[in-house]
Amino acid sequence: MVSITTSVRLATTGCVTPFGDATATHAALLRGESALRLVPVLGALGGDPAPMALLPGRALDETAPPAWIAALRTLLAPIVADGWGTARRPVFVTSSNFGVGNLHAFRQHGDPANLAFGAPALCVDWLRRDFGWGENITIFSHACVSAHLGLLQASRVLAAGLADAALVFSFDFLSPFVAGGFHALKILNAQFPAPYADRATGAIGLGDGAAYAVLTRDRGDFAITAQNLFNELHHFTSNQPDGSGFAACLAPLVEMTAGRRLWLKGHGTGTLDAGRLESAALAAAFPGAPLVGWKGALGHTLGSCGLVELALATTSLRAGRAPGTVGTTGPTFGEHVATSAVDLSGFDAVLCASNAFGGAHAAFILAHA
Amino acid sequence: MLERYLQAVRTDDPGAEEPAATRERLKTNFPPGATRRMTQLGLLVGSALNDLVPTSDDTLVYATGFGESRALEAYLASFPTPSPTLFQTSIHPSGAQQVLIGRQRPIREFFPLAGGPQLTAQALLTALLSPTPRVLLCGGEERATWLTEHGVASDRTFAFAIALTSTATPGFLGKITLASGSDADVSLASPFPLAQFFDLLHARRPFSGPLANARHLTLSWM
Repeated sequence: MVSITTSVRLATTGCVTPFGDATATHAALLRGESALRLVPVLGALGGDPAPMALLPGRALDETAPPAWIAALRTLLAPIVADGWGTARRPVFVTSSNFGVGNLHAFRQHGDPANLAFGAPALCVDWLRRDFGWGENITIFSHACVSAHLGLLQASRVLAAGLADAALVFSFDFLSPFVAGGFHALKILNAQFPAPYADRATGAIGLGDGAAYAVLTRDRGDFAITAQNLFNELHHFTSNQPDGSGFAACLAPLVEMTAGRRLWLKGHGTGTLDAGRLESAALAAAFPGAPLVGWKGALGHTLGSCGLVELALATTSLRAGRAPGTVGTTGPTFGEHVATSAVDLSGFDAVLCASNAFGGAHAAFILAHA
Repeated sequence: MLERYLQAVRTDDPGAEEPAATRERLKTNFPPGATRRMTQLGLLVGSALNDLVPTSDDTLVYATGFGESRALEAYLASFPTPSPTLFQTSIHPSGAQQVLIGRQRPIREFFPLAGGPQLTAQALLTALLSPTPRVLLCGGEERATWLTEHGVASDRTFAFAIALTSTATPGFLGKITLASGSDADVSLASPFPLAQFFDLLHARRPFSGPLANARHLTLSWM
């Protein structure tokens, strides 16, 4: 059973990363550039250096109002006046961290202004008022598959005829709260990520990122033709060692892609075990399909990664060229791992996959409409 | 019109009970030693969910405004040497994950919602749009300390879990209906807090009113 097989159209999409918008980010990835720099994990408090990709000029420490608000205003400017959050135009906001970094800032400095962003609903309500949205907003938070839940629920609302268009919006910006936590888990260290590289030790990078997608039933050049979820619930931070969780998410999508010439945008954070399992599961489900991952350049943008990478996959389809797995050289987990750009003239669809804490898996198929 | 039948309802309203007392009261619901690192919300939601015996074919919808607030406070207090355990415990949707991981129970679809004035309305819509025959909708809050004082955590502790099925089976307890509302309902609707929904379930009280997602909710009991 697939979570949804009703196709929805992608009317428009966009993202912001440290490279800029989707076009600028796509171009930077094609050039093989990385936005990751070594930054102390506790920001002004210091700590070990770790690779992070921050928006230009933004410090890791949170401010109130957050320094990333300006980037969101620019990102959403093309669609902000479209009556979102009303009865027939719902908004689905997804994030892993929202403004939780402000609680760390409040603990440091005692500025009550930080508290206005300290809980998901408070942070989203601040954004709602800033963007002029109505009250019809759903907030999902499921770590790094958060964006996929917004896409799926928006699709179901459209399929049920309950909306004319849906805005899915996702954002995650780094802070000492987040970086300190990943560093404590010992997967964020001074080593730069090399997704799907067969090397001795793994590591991730983290990145700022936000994106949106406007979904409709019948408007747009691209379609999300199927979406699926699976939650292993085996361990908080690791997967079933046999890779069955990855396979369970992908298997129902295989028949949905019959006849398609598919390429794969994987999750690929740079951790070894998950990278090996994901790579093997994708190769088994979609033999011969090239696999790319972009977190070696952008860092892991956490709850927003599914939507940021959707915007970049759409740009890739439009441009006919997908960036390779930036940051990875040498041996990989398989010949299907593409370390250089992929010419998409022989392909007509992409599978985009994300994974999260708790063994959560999500994937969708994106194709020309 | 969307509708589901209420097959089972579990609620826990512990009042001012402290986390240690909750742990002691509910520890027999979990494997030996499993409760040591569980949060109060995890214990409460976990106990309620356990009774409904989640399966991989269910859809799980989890609604909370603030989540693991005590773990969040403890994680923040652990700086400048952040605790990895408290970091992962404080991340939404840990409250529901704690019991499911403890029981090694995979689930295909899991929708954790994270607050907002229309949290209840959107959680119900998520549940009622699910295609699976059975949906489990759970939720709750835990009262914290300084986060509560600053309005960044709940001032009340409670939890619930309900089983919703697409067909009526013998012994069903009630029905939840989301009918078409009007565009005006978005502006007419007042916030429908999760605690209010919990109170309706706990007292088995009916409800009828507009929701901000242009739906009209009816909760009826047999």
